[in-house]
Amino acid sequence: MTAQQSLRIISETFNKSRKDILSNSAKYFMLWGALLTVVSLVIYLLWHLSGKPEWNFLWFAMPVIGYPIAALMGKYNKAMPQNEVSKMLGSVWAVFGAFAITLSVIAIFLVPMRVSLIIVIIMGLAECMSGVLLKNWPIIIGGFILGVGGAVFAMLVKSEAQLLIFTLGGVLLLVTGFIMKLQYK
Amino acid sequence: MFPKLDPLLHSELRLAVMSILAGVDEADFTYLKKQTGATSGNLSVQIDKLTAAGYITVEKGFKGKMPRTTCKMTPAGQEAFSNYVDALKEYLSAGK
Repeated sequence: MTAQQSLRIISETFNKSRKDILSNSAKYFMLWGALLTVVSLVIYLLWHLSGKPEWNFLWFAMPVIGYPIAALMGKYNKAMPQNEVSKMLGSVWAVFGAFAITLSVIAIFLVPMRVSLIIVIIMGLAECMSGVLLKNWPIIIGGFILGVGGAVFAMLVKSEAQLLIFTLGGVLLLVTGFIMKLQYK
Repeated sequence: MFPKLDPLLHSELRLAVMSILAGVDEADFTYLKKQTGATSGNLSVQIDKLTAAGYITVEKGFKGKMPRTTCKMTPAGQEAFSNYVDALKEYLSAGK
């Protein structure tokens, strides 16, 4: 085996493994993106038609539906290892989830706050960080627009119209998943 | 004088296994098999050689009810792999 052949084996094997791992991570972006798009639209429509903001409790359907599906996806792909980037992506979104759920519970039961405004900012930040980790400018810019644009939108519009920010966020996560699938094909 | 290439790493399958393990925390036997396209028997033999050299560790356990073999690169393996890549670079730069 020549030195060139050795280096080719190293680079091909390393890159193939990296692509497979990150392409697998793309599925989770698609899952949460699709779920966020559907749930936010359903709540928007129910609130809009009934005039009752209580439909916001349906947000808790997201983790209830999402986590078992994500666990099932992991079970079918149990041999897939983690690399530094996939681990950090998982951590960024796990931290986002912890903040979003905790703040929502506090806002509903303890201290009223503009939770849409806060969540859209941290969601934009998490998306931006994902773009930085993936070295992908469209994802970085998309996250920035979601965070900053979403914050402005949340301040300008009232009640159920704010939910449309999260529909946009869901679409952005879906697009991120598709970009990753294409990037690591 | 060129540095000597580590004979343990200078084999197609062992090098592929080490290249995969260099980029991940740990990898399942089935994943290594899929990525390298090797047969189970051949892969087992090469993994045993890397384990005997102290380059990787192998952990056998269960995930649910299914048996699972996990391989992980050791610090000695990382150093050997890094030295091997450096040696290759020297060979290539001398050839230019």
